[in-house]
Amino acid sequence: MPELLARLLRSPQGALGLAIVAMALLAVAVGPLVAPYAPEGLFPLNRYKAPSAAFPLGTDQYGRDILSRLLHGARATVVMAVCATALGTLAGAVVGTASAYWGGRGDEAIMRTIDAIMSVPSLLFALLIVNLLGKSSVNALIAVAIAFTPAMARISRSVALTVRKQDYINAAIARGEGAPYVVLREMLPNVVAPIVVEMTIRVSFAVMLFATLSFLGLGAQPPAPEWGLMVSEARKFMHLSAWMILWPSLAIAFVAIGFNLLGDGLRDALNPRT
Amino acid sequence: MTAVLDIAGYTLDYALPKGGSFRALENIVLTIARGEVLGLVGESGSGKTSLAWAIMRYLPGNAQEVGGTIRLNGEDLRSKSPAEIAAIRGRRIGMVFQDPSTSLNPTLTLGAQLSEALVRHRSLTLKQAWAEGEAMMAKVGLHRPADMMHRYPHEASGGEKQRVVIATAFSCQPECILFDEPTTALDVITARQILDLFRRLQDETAVASLYISHDLAVVATVADRVAVIHRGRLVETAPVIQVFNRPQADYTKRLIAAVPRPDRRLNDTTADAEAAPLLEVRSLTVRYGQESLVRRLLGVERERVLGNRAVSLSVQPGEILGVVGESGSGKSTLARALTGLNPFDGEILFDGRRIASAGDMDRAYRRDVQLVFQHPDSSLNPRQRIGEILSRPLKLYGNGHEADFPQRVAELLEQVHLPRSFAQRYPHQLSGGEKQRVAIARAFASHPRLVICDEITSSLDVSVQAAVIQLLLDLQRRFGTAYLFITHDLNLVRQIAHRIAVMFRGELVELATVGELAAGPKHAYTTALIDAVPAPVG
Repeated sequence: MPELLARLLRSPQGALGLAIVAMALLAVAVGPLVAPYAPEGLFPLNRYKAPSAAFPLGTDQYGRDILSRLLHGARATVVMAVCATALGTLAGAVVGTASAYWGGRGDEAIMRTIDAIMSVPSLLFALLIVNLLGKSSVNALIAVAIAFTPAMARISRSVALTVRKQDYINAAIARGEGAPYVVLREMLPNVVAPIVVEMTIRVSFAVMLFATLSFLGLGAQPPAPEWGLMVSEARKFMHLSAWMILWPSLAIAFVAIGFNLLGDGLRDALNPRT
Repeated sequence: MTAVLDIAGYTLDYALPKGGSFRALENIVLTIARGEVLGLVGESGSGKTSLAWAIMRYLPGNAQEVGGTIRLNGEDLRSKSPAEIAAIRGRRIGMVFQDPSTSLNPTLTLGAQLSEALVRHRSLTLKQAWAEGEAMMAKVGLHRPADMMHRYPHEASGGEKQRVVIATAFSCQPECILFDEPTTALDVITARQILDLFRRLQDETAVASLYISHDLAVVATVADRVAVIHRGRLVETAPVIQVFNRPQADYTKRLIAAVPRPDRRLNDTTADAEAAPLLEVRSLTVRYGQESLVRRLLGVERERVLGNRAVSLSVQPGEILGVVGESGSGKSTLARALTGLNPFDGEILFDGRRIASAGDMDRAYRRDVQLVFQHPDSSLNPRQRIGEILSRPLKLYGNGHEADFPQRVAELLEQVHLPRSFAQRYPHQLSGGEKQRVAIARAFASHPRLVICDEITSSLDVSVQAAVIQLLLDLQRRFGTAYLFITHDLNLVRQIAHRIAVMFRGELVELATVGELAAGPKHAYTTALIDAVPAPVG
């Protein structure tokens, strides 16, 4: 693990990605503690303010401090994105690996179903699920997780297929091991590296997908300080203060780029041949 | 005789990513005269291939040449520019690689690849080159060369492909050709034919050849002089007869002693032929390929590939039954069927118990019949420590309490002459021979009565192979385990087996005791196989 970190830090995109992600995680951990105001604290006399000493990033249409809302919102936005991706990745990895293990007709049936699901764009798919389950943050999380599962299953399967041919899998089967042991203990640890890389890249998709869902009014509901929702609300007041839409958009872009760079860095760090 | 290739004091380092460097070749001194074949013998990692690439001037980026000269007919290759080297490669120095299936481009016809070299180096027109290529193909003994020119690599057999590669190497009449293990990837009989071809072309063209191989027996049959390389140093260079009859260096002596020879038997035990057989296989047939649902609905019968055709044999308790045959003869298919990795027809009787399908193989059968694979790299899970790998069978077959496992793992490691501390290591921290010992220890963890060894020594160096075979024989004497020993090395199996089964195209063609086989095989294929095996050295 320390060696991996060293390799990660050696590549510029890895180091930068790690720094950005660390900052985002720091905001998640201590953001609410260092925020100058409460996220819903109203200052009716200070609406649409540009950045100033009292409000470092300005205020919104109700006079709420944007910096405080961003710091509080980091939890909702980043944690949700990571959770949804992790959930989707785990489900996809197990489905894909099991499919590769079974092979034959079971594999065929699973993969054709996944192809069918993948033909629906993930945003549309998430919209569909949220509409079915109802508007809420948890439902948005489930929707994004489900939307990510097919693609992760496909990637896991292709990696697992090469692992499936290895003799240690044959050895396990010849030893009389059951399917759960072979899939979970013999195969999964060997497909994990490429999946982790894919997962970090997908976190940035999830951040954007959540922002989109909230923007469309299907994820977090007002007055939650979710970043996508903040952008959505600020849109109406753009002509009064551009800062309101700028800061949360920048925050989303920042986190998305951070995870993307980390994913690129990890891919190089985990593959010694590059 | 003037030297065509003259290497003097050549030293090569590889820079390591963590700093420092690894010395791959040290003070190499070699000369090859016109018409001479120099055999370069060494084990894996000894620097054989590094030397070949150094001569071809195609070294990886982290290579550092410390000193020395490489001269081709007096010209120093190290001082040549990349453009000059490009003109020399293929034209004046040819190269033949180990595996013809990867050294030919699968998207170009054989003719296109052969004539490309002629157009490039001999300035022929495409038409002339094609005609010349056809002549070369005829010269290397390919039937219907005109037809062969239009074929793609996948439409030719391994031996045919290697002939095309050799034709390409000889086509530009180079001064020197490097052969890097040209027969290692081929079957015994095909390899023999390629060696005969090599000798004929060598005599006709009087090219200077560097023949790289790990196989002493092969080198003994083709080379005039032999250079033995060990850890980047040449330990001995001498005429072939002298090296094999009066080796000077200790390393050469060890290497020659490790080469299997059928007349030196390693196994003094005898199997009880009268006892009830431990394993009986009755007309076992394995078909490959799945029947497609659509085809079955349409009622279309498809011819399925036969892996094994009605194979019947038996193994006595404590017997070593050797199974030999070339690749694709169904040896491994048999091993896979016996361990439930392939579906099969026919029946297996183990200790009197009838097994008609993989579903009948219960835990007791799996415990009694263990399989060791060819490549230890792929048969050990890279993400598990050795301790975890070895304790899994103990847990699975319920041998003792979990608290005793570390002790049992240590005993297993000692059984295969490995230190106890290896339990904490990962497979990639072990050498090939050590990994194969771990795989053997895993098979013996459940105290099996039959161990199926599927080519377990063929990816190992000859000295490591000798040690692994010795270990297997020790374990057999100690536990009375029976082996089904699958190999392509007839010399090796004649050293250790009680009886030998010969397989050809999925069928069992001969099953005889070692004595009967030595007296004279009955089947024509067995005779061909024995004749094709290079005579043991010494």
